[in-house]
Amino acid sequence: MKKSLTIGWLYPELMNIYGDRGNVFVLQKRCKWRNIDTKVKYLNLGFDLKDLISCDLILMGGAQDKQQQAVAKDLTKNKDKLQSIIEKGIPGLYICGAYQFLGNFYKEANGQKIKGLSIFNLYTQNPGEDTKRLIGNAAFKFGELDYTLIGFENHGGRTFLGKNLMPFGKVVKGFGNNAEDGLEGAIYKNSFGTYLHGPILPKNPVFADYLIQKALEIKYKEKISLEKLDDAIEENARLAIAKRLGIEI
Amino acid sequence: MNFLIIIFGKIFSSLVRLLNLGNGSTWPGHIALSLNKDFIGQTLRKSKVKTVLIIGTNGKTTTSKLIRTILKKDNLKSVYNMSGANLLNGMASSIIISSKWDGKLKKDFALFEVDENAFPLFVDSIKPDFVIVLNLFRDQLDRYGEIDTISSNWKKALEKLDNTTLILNADDPQVAYLAQSLKKNVLFFGLEDKSLSSSSLQHGADSILCPKCQNKLSFECFYFSHLGKWQCDKCGLKRPKPNLSKLDFYPPLEGTYSLYDILAAVLFAKQIKVNDKTIKNALREFKPAFGRQETVSFMEKDIQIFLSKNPISFNESLSTVRKLGGKNILIVLNDQIPDGLDVSWIWDIDFENILTKNMNIMVSGQRAYDMALRLKYAEVYAHITDNVRNAIDKMIENLDKNEKLYVLPNYSAMLETREILTGKKIL
Repeated sequence: MKKSLTIGWLYPELMNIYGDRGNVFVLQKRCKWRNIDTKVKYLNLGFDLKDLISCDLILMGGAQDKQQQAVAKDLTKNKDKLQSIIEKGIPGLYICGAYQFLGNFYKEANGQKIKGLSIFNLYTQNPGEDTKRLIGNAAFKFGELDYTLIGFENHGGRTFLGKNLMPFGKVVKGFGNNAEDGLEGAIYKNSFGTYLHGPILPKNPVFADYLIQKALEIKYKEKISLEKLDDAIEENARLAIAKRLGIEI
Repeated sequence: MNFLIIIFGKIFSSLVRLLNLGNGSTWPGHIALSLNKDFIGQTLRKSKVKTVLIIGTNGKTTTSKLIRTILKKDNLKSVYNMSGANLLNGMASSIIISSKWDGKLKKDFALFEVDENAFPLFVDSIKPDFVIVLNLFRDQLDRYGEIDTISSNWKKALEKLDNTTLILNADDPQVAYLAQSLKKNVLFFGLEDKSLSSSSLQHGADSILCPKCQNKLSFECFYFSHLGKWQCDKCGLKRPKPNLSKLDFYPPLEGTYSLYDILAAVLFAKQIKVNDKTIKNALREFKPAFGRQETVSFMEKDIQIFLSKNPISFNESLSTVRKLGGKNILIVLNDQIPDGLDVSWIWDIDFENILTKNMNIMVSGQRAYDMALRLKYAEVYAHITDNVRNAIDKMIENLDKNEKLYVLPNYSAMLETREILTGKKIL
């Protein structure tokens, strides 16, 4: 029987700032090319909870402050549902602002704390306007796959992981969570938080396939092995940046 | 003091040009400002010149050129900065170069396109007579920051002015809202042409929340991106009625995005009492600014360059090329400092809805593979040649008689392409 995945895209109208919709395209096309059907649920402000519950894979990107506030209000209402989905092990990818928002709080430069969803045990603080944003091409190593992810980071906030929360990977080049501890992102169950955009999935097809495989295995409760695709352009695009960063991938 | 600065600056820039070291566009200004921080303000206040600042993400260079063309036709003299020299030093340099050897600036208008982030500094040092605000889109987030930050800085800067005339885009919510910071002397341009509009929101539209109360805006129609007929159902803020929304002549540039630039230029011209006939005659002879729909002849073929430096300008260029029946497209993507190091914006381009199957596409530039990857996921096949010169040659070779090549480069790629095609450097 033909397999299918439902991809939930949280707040595509507001949380879409760094080309993050590319991640959705990549998941859709890499499924399509393997004859796997996909459906995308666009979960905008005031979305129907039934739609969220029907998803096999969740994506959420970053935004500007104003947009993020509007989203925070909406998502806080639906926190329990999102939390139970994440706890159940439904795979998800949460980028930048979305990643911060899963944490306990975001402390602004003026000391004011904005509450997060407290699903990931982490917090973020912004050291103030005089401190530089962390911007540039970046690479980190995801241990489980022994795979180097390549992308671009651009964030003012510094994120610190709490007890028992695994990082997504170790920084190879760039700043990572906070420019101090050499860690990037976080993993909780099958949900991944990261600062890497670019967007992250097009240039890291191995990780894109990992998410697809996980989502299918959980949905169909069986071992899945995905057909190999021709990733020559992906490889060349990765190599171009790796060369510039002076790293081997 | 300023007299000496001008004389030395003029000698310096003449030498630079004489020795062929470049066109000397920013150095004299850099030196002038380090000797006297208020050089620009003092020089402009001493002369009778009226200052016009143009800001916005897209269309500054074109709007500046449109206005210059009209002023010239009306026998008005202007000093202006080159695009790419849109920081204070570029402005000081153009003042030095345009001043007479007696140190005086004898011009009617000083016309400056200004970098988004440099605008507050400009306002502080010169108190402009006119400010034209074109639009505000996401652009080089790694360099400029997010657009809410930019608009709030602009608003603060404008609040310090009182005798300035503001010319604003009514269709862009955040731009129109700038009127609140100056209340008087505000004029609006916008579109009122249903045939150009669509009812659905394009991807990547930025200003869809009310700039006053952050509620989601409702749009009666969209012209492109978030430009359209908007209103807030919660606080009642709505798109102001434009003072100018139509042209009574055929526009000298293609595309809806160009219409806004032309409306802005014409509204300004009307405001300074240039008569309609002069405006019309001037624009009939208008030649595009370099790289902005400019056509260059190369190896007996016509090549038209559409600068495409952010998702919105790329979408608009691509739609315009399609409307013109373009089949052969070369996309050049670089990631040098003026382009922004982050190319993630290419995923916000609407290739899926604009490209047609029969187009022959080549990608080139430092990030050619990123662009090829973007197109792959739009299921469009692209040839890849990272060297720009070779890419142009290959495309030209395969052109049929009378076929045209359309090049869509981002900023540094445009300079590079143009240098290959004309054999000359601009900056």
